[in-house]
Amino acid sequence: MSKTFPTTGSHSDLAAAQALHAAFPDATKAPAEFAGDLTLEVTDIGRETEVLQHARDALGYSLLIDRFGDDMGEDAQPRWVVRTVLYDLTNHKRLHFRVFSSALDPVFHTAMGVFRGANWYEREVYDMYGFAFEGHPDLRRILLHEDFPDFPLRKEYPMEGRGEHAAPARALGGNVDGTDGRVAVPESVRSGSDTERESLSPDEAWKRSAEMKAAKGKPSGDAPQEPTS
Amino acid sequence: MSDARMLDVEIAEDRHEDTIALNMGPQHPSTHGVLRLILELDGEEVCKCEPIIGYLHRGKEKVGEHHTLHQNIPYTDRMDYLAPLANNVAYAIACEKLVGIEAPPRAQAIRVICAELGRISSHLLGLGAYAMDLGAMTVFLWTFREREAIYSMMERISGARFTTSYTRIGGCARDFPEDLFPKLEKFVREFPHRVDEYEGLLTRNKIWVKRTQGVGVITVEQALQYGLTGPNLRACGVEYDLRKLHPYSGYDLYDFEVPVGTTGDCYDRYMVRVEEMRQSTRIIEQVLDSMPSGPYLNRAGDDELKSVQPEKKKVLTNMESLIHQFMVFTDSVDLPHGEVYFGHENPKGELGFFLRSEGGSKAQRMRIRGPSFASLQVLQEVVPGHMISDIMAILGSIDFVMGECDR
Repeated sequence: MSKTFPTTGSHSDLAAAQALHAAFPDATKAPAEFAGDLTLEVTDIGRETEVLQHARDALGYSLLIDRFGDDMGEDAQPRWVVRTVLYDLTNHKRLHFRVFSSALDPVFHTAMGVFRGANWYEREVYDMYGFAFEGHPDLRRILLHEDFPDFPLRKEYPMEGRGEHAAPARALGGNVDGTDGRVAVPESVRSGSDTERESLSPDEAWKRSAEMKAAKGKPSGDAPQEPTS
Repeated sequence: MSDARMLDVEIAEDRHEDTIALNMGPQHPSTHGVLRLILELDGEEVCKCEPIIGYLHRGKEKVGEHHTLHQNIPYTDRMDYLAPLANNVAYAIACEKLVGIEAPPRAQAIRVICAELGRISSHLLGLGAYAMDLGAMTVFLWTFREREAIYSMMERISGARFTTSYTRIGGCARDFPEDLFPKLEKFVREFPHRVDEYEGLLTRNKIWVKRTQGVGVITVEQALQYGLTGPNLRACGVEYDLRKLHPYSGYDLYDFEVPVGTTGDCYDRYMVRVEEMRQSTRIIEQVLDSMPSGPYLNRAGDDELKSVQPEKKKVLTNMESLIHQFMVFTDSVDLPHGEVYFGHENPKGELGFFLRSEGGSKAQRMRIRGPSFASLQVLQEVVPGHMISDIMAILGSIDFVMGECDR
């Protein structure tokens, strides 16, 4: 594309990005640029914190602006991304980092050793995407309530629900991952993709939601309550 | 005296052994919204402070992936609801960066006025509530007098007092009303005197100084580690102002200073905000003097500008323009592949928008980087060691807004 993009508010430091790439030639890719924003891709998930540490200590990227997750799409390979934005206060440059994972249950490494403020950002990534951060001392939900069954920023999570998320995953027949207490995305949510919903007419949608409600109410209503003692 | 010291030592020895937990909020008046602090107290001293956020989470980032760029504009009003105009401007510039256009000069000048009015109104509320939490009721009433004037002007500009939704991709929703110029000029002329009045109430007020100086000190190291931005970072002495460092919307045309503090305590944060209001007034004054004429919105004419709305007159008379208008607002435009980040100097700090697009009309990822999120995280390091009553000073001075923290 020959079109030029305005580079409003972005002052990237190509030299610093290249220096980082030179320092970690087999853990990073050459920096990519779009509209003035430079992004350095870290290919070795285990050395991401090392790269960030080097950026902070040797290149002066001392201000943690942001750290957030991204989902490249259900069919994308690799699918999961954690992005970090750092700022250099002496040269006034900004640099973006991204690290991919294609694992089904991605495990990234916490950046809390480099920036203590990564704590909440990583908790938010976990909250929204369900990524684990190795070494994070307190990885639990931050914006959503503790019983929330899903990771809503994953692409398969529908934009609109019709009450099916009111109950925790256990009630929906979703499986609870016993290993670390995290809740896997239940099948009922996976199948209810947005496109499917949009194709339903309002009447059909209403009927379907009534059916879902009835189906949900049945087993719990029929099953006798177990005595507590 | 020595007895008291002896007693102090005795208490110090068995401190933390008999602490009590106290829930402050989510409905405490000084939490400005719904923030909950779990405090561990040793007498009146705080040993541990854990902020609990998320009560105002509305899933804006998820919504952002399912709406066209235009449809998201009203959602930005409801983030930092004390400066909705500034949010609108931040989002519009981020979108323009992705689409690859720039707003015309007049629109940029209008946006500067909007952002600075937003800054003043946000600081006025922050200052008023801050002072009221520390017992100075008058300041609150006085700042709300000026805020009322600003909101009347916002209503004249955008048609709404709070939910402004004023910007469009490529410019503004409507032109700056001509009859507002004299009003705004009058406001700008008088406002510095009003700031003097607030300062007269607080700056040398013994109680105010005692309650804010040396309280809630945030070191530069802490500020950087936690990613503080805006006035909170500048109060620590770091000159980080995106308007100066990476000028957008023609901020480089205007002459203004960036106030910075020295110690990073509550008093410095107060002083930085007061001075920022004066500087914002200066900026608005200069914009009014040099307001460029011309269009307030990039109009679709040639193929390059298919991403913005066509002229209203053409929409009503020309078939293609009508279709184009319809497409822009329902299906939007075919976005280029790419990812952009734009950081806007919002009243509370850097409001960043990250947009990733894979073509089509919607962004695949819309990340909102809210400054209050970072400001609140630092509480767990800053609050311990202070008295309970200092928390009000710290919360007031940090000046957060939950709508943007929780998104």
